[in-house]
Amino acid sequence: MQYHIEHGPAFAWLRVGLGPNERIVAEAGAMVRQSTDLEVETRLNASRKRGFFGLIVAVFVALLRRLVGGETMFVNEFSGPRGGEVVLAPKLSGHIMRRTLDGRRTLFVQTGGYLASGPDIDTRLRFGGLRTLFGGEGLVLLQCTGQGDVFVNSYGGITEVAVDGKFVVDTGHIVAFDGALDFRVRSIGGAKAFLFSGEGLVCEFTGRGSLFIQSRNMSALRSWVIPLLPQ
Amino acid sequence: MHFEIQYRPAHSLATAHLGPGESVRAEASAMVSMTRNLEIQTDGPMGRGGLMKNLKRAMLGGETFFTNTFTARGTPGHVTLAPTLCGDMVVVELQRGEPLYIQGSSYVASPDTVEIDSRWQGFKGFFSGESLFFLEAEGTGPVVVNAFGAIETLDLNGDIIVDTGHLVAFSTGIDYAITKASRGWIASYLSGEGLVLRMSGRGRIYLQSRNPNEYGGAVGPGLPPRKG
Repeated sequence: MQYHIEHGPAFAWLRVGLGPNERIVAEAGAMVRQSTDLEVETRLNASRKRGFFGLIVAVFVALLRRLVGGETMFVNEFSGPRGGEVVLAPKLSGHIMRRTLDGRRTLFVQTGGYLASGPDIDTRLRFGGLRTLFGGEGLVLLQCTGQGDVFVNSYGGITEVAVDGKFVVDTGHIVAFDGALDFRVRSIGGAKAFLFSGEGLVCEFTGRGSLFIQSRNMSALRSWVIPLLPQ
Repeated sequence: MHFEIQYRPAHSLATAHLGPGESVRAEASAMVSMTRNLEIQTDGPMGRGGLMKNLKRAMLGGETFFTNTFTARGTPGHVTLAPTLCGDMVVVELQRGEPLYIQGSSYVASPDTVEIDSRWQGFKGFFSGESLFFLEAEGTGPVVVNAFGAIETLDLNGDIIVDTGHLVAFSTGIDYAITKASRGWIASYLSGEGLVLRMSGRGRIYLQSRNPNEYGGAVGPGLPPRKG
């Protein structure tokens, strides 16, 4: 598989060249263009389990991802006997990054950040603690495991931070981070800071590993737009 | 008359430089600034002048494609033009007999040597909800088109599948047909790709790296419901 990330950092897209029978999985609606040689298989955004009960579980998981994680309920898998090219684009303005997993390392991705992955990558929903459920900046994460590439999109530019010790990031600016990092969601300072500092919730990382942060924040955009909407 | 594009690719701005007596036609509401010697005339989908005809068309729910024509009187002048969304713009040089088909919202401007036909209905009526509105530009001269995001210029010789939400324009020589985005029609609906075209032949396709509807779908949830 060959890949090119083009038109970044503002409007990046991912161009993937697939060899014969190579596969890539992408979030629903991401396709810009593709070779006519490629077949598309649409399936539920959940790990494949067998039988009727497995299907029920998959529907439930996909629905949960749609409603809680803000992800798409379905994913598309592209492949073809002769290979081909497919171009994938995220919804928001911003960049795309790639992280390769070796089977041991895991990657946490902010939901909405998932764009595409190799066929042997598994993703699961994780919650960043109960406290995140209020304040509108819930930290719902996608845990990626397995072997292969994961492509993640951001809102704005992406900065890689090599954490060694402690590091604090606004939850709305997290793109992805290594599973080796411990994280804890908390409010910054006391109750007064929580209400008036405008910083909402932060995530405190501990340990050694890579952290990727984005230069824009989706919930900040929403809170800016909402007061301007007509009543 | 010539165009100049600045601030590419994120926040591109087009400037039309006009000699005395020259004019440029631009998408309604695109004007940012202009010199004082420019005269403006508004054209609707039913052509110049017919106010009642145009109003009727607007009322009846037809496509309402309005443009403004700026003409420099006496001395040279210029007008600057900006689209609504962030993204790139390109100038496409047209030759007579080789029309360009432009997604309605991607048209920015062209001189009067280029005819813009908004009644071309190539794509209409395939699917409810996602009918496409394309303009046919024909003549000799430059046409400015804009994109949401970056623009990719693709020289096609063969066939390809394209998401209509990413299609900016395409040249003559290209055939198109609505096709399934996934295996079956139900899967195509679930695939989230919406309307997908199979384009074939020899010609040029202009694509944008973002899809306005997908963007709306990402920002919209979480906003309070619209009233009225």
